[in-house]
Amino acid sequence: MKSRTMHLFLWMLILLALSACQMPVAAPTAATPVGEEAPAADLLSIVQQRGKLIVSTDPAYPPQSELVAGVAPPADTKCTGDERPANQFSGFDIDVAVAIAEKLGVEACFVTPDWTLITAGGWAGRWDLSIGSMTITPERMRNLYFTQPYYTTPAAFFVHQDNTTFAQPSDLSGRRIGVCTGCTYESYLDGTLSIPGETIEFVVSDAQIVGYDTDVPALEDLALGDGVRLDAVLTAQPTGLTYIENGGPLKQLGDPVYFEYLAGAIDKSAPHDTTAFREAVTKAIQDLHAEGVLLALSEQYYGVDLTTAAAEFDLDRLEQ
Amino acid sequence: MTARAGEEPASRRHYDLTRKQDQEAFAAHLLAQERRRRRLQRIRVFAVWIALFAILWFVFSFLNIDFGYTVNNAEFVLLGIGVTLGVSLVSITIASLIALFGALGRLSTNSFFHGLSTFYVSIFRGTPLLVQIFIIYLGLPQIGQQIAARGYPWLGALFILTAIQSGVLALSLNYGAYMTEIFRAGIQSVSQGQWQAAAALGMSRWQTLRLIVLPQAIKIIIPAVGNQFIAMQKDSSLVSVMGVWEITYRANRFARRDSKYMEMFLLAAAIYWVLTIVSEWLLARLEGRMARSDRR
Repeated sequence: MKSRTMHLFLWMLILLALSACQMPVAAPTAATPVGEEAPAADLLSIVQQRGKLIVSTDPAYPPQSELVAGVAPPADTKCTGDERPANQFSGFDIDVAVAIAEKLGVEACFVTPDWTLITAGGWAGRWDLSIGSMTITPERMRNLYFTQPYYTTPAAFFVHQDNTTFAQPSDLSGRRIGVCTGCTYESYLDGTLSIPGETIEFVVSDAQIVGYDTDVPALEDLALGDGVRLDAVLTAQPTGLTYIENGGPLKQLGDPVYFEYLAGAIDKSAPHDTTAFREAVTKAIQDLHAEGVLLALSEQYYGVDLTTAAAEFDLDRLEQ
Repeated sequence: MTARAGEEPASRRHYDLTRKQDQEAFAAHLLAQERRRRRLQRIRVFAVWIALFAILWFVFSFLNIDFGYTVNNAEFVLLGIGVTLGVSLVSITIASLIALFGALGRLSTNSFFHGLSTFYVSIFRGTPLLVQIFIIYLGLPQIGQQIAARGYPWLGALFILTAIQSGVLALSLNYGAYMTEIFRAGIQSVSQGQWQAAAALGMSRWQTLRLIVLPQAIKIIIPAVGNQFIAMQKDSSLVSVMGVWEITYRANRFARRDSKYMEMFLLAAAIYWVLTIVSEWLLARLEGRMARSDRR
């Protein structure tokens, strides 16, 4: 009895080793038939057949995505199991996802995995699309395809409202500029920033970079007075404008100097062919840009136009 | 005897322990005294609890917590109790089955089964539950896709687990590893003489295990398993990272809406605490029932 199971175990090991050796050889031939059944294995047709687009969102980031409590799901929803219908959430990302689903002629259903699990890829077909204000970065492009961006985070310089000597961002060369440490704003000032699909002009040179944990303390130091601790702060345009709206004595200096693009993402290792699906989602977003739907949503949620630069983004430059 | 009894205050009753009547009365007196002492002890412990709870409440009152907000928004978090309990109950059941087989392997003289069991326990006790959850949720589907690509789509599909399935699998495997040791100890606590006696009666080892040893071991195992169940109710909060809407997920995400973190996390903590207290109470009753056969 004992030796028999031992034998069995050893045989299993040998078989496993053999199959492991054969796998790379067998893989292309075994994979071809799957590829030939392309109509059935195409993600776009799967989405259209099931009548719902499954989107990941993390309702932890108002105003992009947040929970709505105490609302009953619509009676005719196709969302099942883990999936939740759109009326359980609210926010900019949610509205964009619903608009994309409408363009595809299906219902939007949401799942809520942790951000790490979304950016890791390997979704295994458990959801189709991430609409989560995800910045396009080279690291994420390893695991994910990006769609046409649906809005941007513009980076802009802010100076004290009393200042009269700075007329444009290039006047800030050699000055003390506050940024959050490790953010893209710091990389911009030291000239190392690279954003996929964008050519960045480094208009400020030799800045004295002053690092902060987050953006708001930098803005507060700038608000102490023109040149008291800082001459300027480089941060997200909405962050700066919100600070001004709440009574901060600052003003924006010139136009944004660069944009971070926020796009939908699709799993690169998806079990089905995503080519047509990616094209359809990008087409939907481009149409929503052209129809002014995204601009209206941007003004509704952020009070500013964050979408025009995203509409002009050339997706082909990502070479994905 | 009479001299010592004479020193006692007159109010006390004197027992002549040579008389049977007095012996019984004295025994009853001692029992009543013991009962009074225990009741008093319970009241004192309860008073300490109340005092500590009041101190805790006082401390939290410094935190500027809007308890009205907690009460008004409790329902959304309370809806997670079903998921938390469901995941824990299913997981503890599967974990118990795994642990039973794990313990049998651990006690087996067969080197394959022994090796399998010790390897399993070593891996799952040696890695954090959260990491196991990530690996199961992200890793298994990739294996499944490889299998599907090699021409076995039905087999590959088995590896693609939803968030709840991944959570249950991770909790079951993790707790199964710890509980393997509990089951092993329970089985070993039954004396070797029982095995020998059963063998002398001509029972097979499997029959002995099923009819003689396990029924006795289970009394040792159940309290420990209950303890694991209580721990699991809290560890099940880790499945929230996959977006399972249990108590912690609901509290955390709701808190972000209005930045009312302490309000919501204290609510979640209170719910877990109450669940634990109820579980402890049920477990104590179960243990009481199981111990009945030990009383003589």
